[in-house]
Amino acid sequence: MNRRLRAENGRITVLRRALALAAILALLVVFLSAFQSRVQAKANLEARGASPPAGEAVLPVAAAAQPTPAPVEKDTCLHCHISGEDKGLWTPLMRWSIFGGVGLAFLFGMYRSASVWTSRAPWKPLRLRAAEWLDERYQVSEPLSKILNKPVPTSALRWWYCLGGITAFLFVVQAGTGIMLAFYYKPTPQEAFASIQFIENQVRFGAAIRAVHHWAANGMIVMCMAHMLRVFIMGAYKNPRELNWVSGALLLILTLAFGFTGYLLPWDQRAFWATTVGSEIAGSLPVIGDLALVFLRVGWNVTALTLSRFYALHVIALPIFTLAFMGTHFLMVRRLGIAEAL
Amino acid sequence: MQKTETKQERESIPFYPDHLSTELKVMGGILLLAAVVGIVGLFLPVGTGEPADPMNTPVHVKPEWYFLFLYQLLKFIPKTTGAVLPVIAVIVLILWPFLDRRADPSQKARLYRGIAVAVILIAILALTIWGEVS
Repeated sequence: MNRRLRAENGRITVLRRALALAAILALLVVFLSAFQSRVQAKANLEARGASPPAGEAVLPVAAAAQPTPAPVEKDTCLHCHISGEDKGLWTPLMRWSIFGGVGLAFLFGMYRSASVWTSRAPWKPLRLRAAEWLDERYQVSEPLSKILNKPVPTSALRWWYCLGGITAFLFVVQAGTGIMLAFYYKPTPQEAFASIQFIENQVRFGAAIRAVHHWAANGMIVMCMAHMLRVFIMGAYKNPRELNWVSGALLLILTLAFGFTGYLLPWDQRAFWATTVGSEIAGSLPVIGDLALVFLRVGWNVTALTLSRFYALHVIALPIFTLAFMGTHFLMVRRLGIAEAL
Repeated sequence: MQKTETKQERESIPFYPDHLSTELKVMGGILLLAAVVGIVGLFLPVGTGEPADPMNTPVHVKPEWYFLFLYQLLKFIPKTTGAVLPVIAVIVLILWPFLDRRADPSQKARLYRGIAVAVILIAILALTIWGEVS
């Protein structure tokens, strides 16, 4: 029996035993260290409650500023986890994910060995099981394979065919970084500027996220225009793809609207006056000028309401419209295929 | 795909995994670029200007670079024309496929459109640079 099992699993048996041993050791370590840290924390808490903290390494700034530090439960440093001063927060998660992951791998290995041994059938990979389980419920494998097997002309591998895809991906980048910025941004005249400064100076990697959002926005406009010019020069907008040109042009306008509304959000001099001048130009339109001006500014002047409106447009309305038009745009590319060059 | 399209089959690759992997490589490249931008941004942040002051108009108000050519154009034409012109341009842009309905007769058509694009681009670029330095 044992010999047969070994013949089946030959090469990996040694490796698995080594892994199992490592996992047992790791589990031991994690339990010991968790126990140890709990004892340590309890001791710290008692020491803090009784006397001034001896080894206050977590909040050196706060401790120096306050002669009598607040109890741990009512910590006054609300942003230490954002700016990265509080280093102890991630430690338990890291510890548990590393050692817990090893433990789970060990348990999985045990289950797998036992299963192979009892069923006497080769192990079916988890990926396959998950795919089958999902397909039983959603039944998407057939339409999905149709999509995945669709032939793409080799001419579509030229670099100028990825401009549109790059634009779409940059939109995803913008969504991700934009959500991160929205966590800390406050769209009021009193707080907008300060919250941008907070993002730049205090939030961990805040300056990096803002830089990516800023430069990817510029890149998105460049890529969008380049994609449009490529389509225009190649004549890919012609029958039957007229509506894809229309949705693409609307997407370009939406991208520019993203830029225009996003520019106001830092609420600095440049932002304020660029918006003032921009909405003034819209206000000089015949017939609808005043309406356009009042719609953009929410009143006759650029105020807190303008900021709220631009923020709502920038983070809610424009993304929804963009996603909708991207959907129609991609749907037609998928249905009709990439336009063949002459 | 039908059996008749042998030529297309010969000159095509499957979407998965061939084409998708190419796309993923492009995405990876962009993510890498974004990471580089982020790392550089840590040391050279985008920064903010002066806080907004509605009582104090700065001397030079300039829009972002992609509106700069319009801003420069507005200096030379009346304001109403300057506001109407972009709207008309945008409407023409959106409806372009319905204005140019003829199928391309030859490769020449692409050349002509390329020349038109080059002329417009150079004009916009010139206006942008002019607006930047003025």
